[in-house]
Amino acid sequence: MRPTRLRTCVLLLASALLVTAWVFPVLWGLLTSFKTERDVLAYPPLLIFTPTLANYREVLFGSSSILPNLVSSLVLTACTTVLTLLLAVPAAYALSRLRLPAKQASGFYVLATQMLPPVGLIIPYYLVLQRLGLLDSFTGMSAIYLTFSLPFAIWLMVSYFEDVPLEMEEAALLDRAGRLRTLLYVILPQVRGGIAVTTIFVFLNAWNEFLFAVVLGGNKVRLVTVAMFDFVSVEQTQWGRLAAAAMLAMAPVIVLGFAAQRHIVKGLTVGAVKGGGRR
Amino acid sequence: MTTTGQVHIKGVVKRHGTFTALHGLDLEIAPGEFFALLGPSGSGKSTTLRILAGLDSPDEGCIVIDGMDVTDAQPGDRDIAMVFQSYALYPHMTVYDNIAFPLRMIKTPAPELDQAVRAAAGKVRIDQLLHRKPGQLSGGQQQRCALARAIVRKPRLFLLDEPLSNLDAKLRMETRVELKRLQRSLDATAIYVTHDQEEAMAMADRMAIFMDGRVVQVGTPDEVFGRPASVTVAAFLGNPPMNLLAASLAGGMASVEGVAISVPALAALGTREITLGARPSAVVLGAGGFPATVALCESLGEETIVDLALGASLLRARLPAGQRPREGETVEVTLRASGLHAFDRTSGLRLDF
Repeated sequence: MRPTRLRTCVLLLASALLVTAWVFPVLWGLLTSFKTERDVLAYPPLLIFTPTLANYREVLFGSSSILPNLVSSLVLTACTTVLTLLLAVPAAYALSRLRLPAKQASGFYVLATQMLPPVGLIIPYYLVLQRLGLLDSFTGMSAIYLTFSLPFAIWLMVSYFEDVPLEMEEAALLDRAGRLRTLLYVILPQVRGGIAVTTIFVFLNAWNEFLFAVVLGGNKVRLVTVAMFDFVSVEQTQWGRLAAAAMLAMAPVIVLGFAAQRHIVKGLTVGAVKGGGRR
Repeated sequence: MTTTGQVHIKGVVKRHGTFTALHGLDLEIAPGEFFALLGPSGSGKSTTLRILAGLDSPDEGCIVIDGMDVTDAQPGDRDIAMVFQSYALYPHMTVYDNIAFPLRMIKTPAPELDQAVRAAAGKVRIDQLLHRKPGQLSGGQQQRCALARAIVRKPRLFLLDEPLSNLDAKLRMETRVELKRLQRSLDATAIYVTHDQEEAMAMADRMAIFMDGRVVQVGTPDEVFGRPASVTVAAFLGNPPMNLLAASLAGGMASVEGVAISVPALAALGTREITLGARPSAVVLGAGGFPATVALCESLGEETIVDLALGASLLRARLPAGQRPREGETVEVTLRASGLHAFDRTSGLRLDF
């Protein structure tokens, strides 16, 4: 066996181990979601069992249905994503193109906000929302979600805008497009890959968020990440239902991940090599 | 003959921080003229073009086009088309949409638009490529597409920023001829930026030589080549460039490196220190001249370029193909009066004789 082939084998083995380690909890959760409560607690754990949809039925349509929570999550995530994109795209364009005073300083500020640990912000955010009467509301929570999604989205979008040659914009200006039409017809179509990546990342971050959701939400806005915890109580943990709820909560993430796999991988490598890994 | 596209640049100054890119530029360009801005990199020619286009604004001075001051006008309001060095085609649009873009922006009705796009594409011979994206075109085709986009709305002024520099040598020669023919057929003013003197000489009706943010000479290619205004212009134009030798002139004899060279044509300049200029084609081998040693011979097929050592100086001669002296040989050299130039040693300016 040649050394290169040995290397390939070792690499393959290592990646297989890593993937297994990552996939195992998800697979275990998937299996658990189809088990009855008795099968879940069986020892040694059962690999062969009669699958049931009872957990899903209960979680979706039963007394402790998470359907309203899924809807809440969807509404809040969609609001956050749309608002983020609406604000981040023009902001990133301005940061990448216009000769603004204090442009560098504001660019750094945008990034610096990402460095603060979110847990340190919870109390101030709670107090602000309470004063404004916006605790447990979509408006208040979207505003808070924007505080972390917006800097990230701007930062990501700037790198895509900077990739579009300035001359292209100048050509459009000479062709009487004006700044707005230049942005709409010439620049935005070229950064659509970036917009896709940003949408996905912002959506995933908002969908998976738990810390702010549990503190700033309540009975009206109760997100699915928080609602899942109802199946864990002091007396009993309903593992089957918890697993079913987790699978349902994960479904959009997995679907989105597969659909946009190509974009996500490129988004992760943005800036790794000059001019590489984009579009 | 067109009457639009007259450009007047008056006292334009452009500064980038502490660096002054243009020091009070004055230029007049006549309607229908093919005008080249020629100069080395960083001499201010592209800056001038960008100011004309409205992509940069001057710190002082003004731009007048057809009698109208457009100094503060937006790029789109100047009725100018520009071909960029990188072509700046819109990669997400087809060739058709790229060419149609300027017309769509002024809301041209569909039938008229279609006709204009096809006519422009036909003029630059890319009418079979209309459905392709720029990424699927060769460099030459991309360049034609950029040209078609520029000519489609019949502007009064074309600005071309080194449009041939990304093409290979053969294609550049062909496109050069075509570009000139296109400009003639459109009967529009064209301002052409290049650092390639051969290109400027071949295409321009008139040209301006830029050096360090200043125009040092304006004239037809023949005027500029035949009567360079200064040593820098003389050194910049011509391939191989003009021989420039420090000489002491007295009574029709020039002393270069201690060698006396007979230059009766310069007798009128009296006694003074000059820079003696001689085009390589004016350096002739033959009996009765001053001695020089052959340092190097380069045969270029139709001609031979010979480097002659004259003390520490080097004199370059362009000889007919048949004439090929041996390297190391001492030959006698004369300078043909018609190819001689004299420049003041201190100011570098041309001395007429």
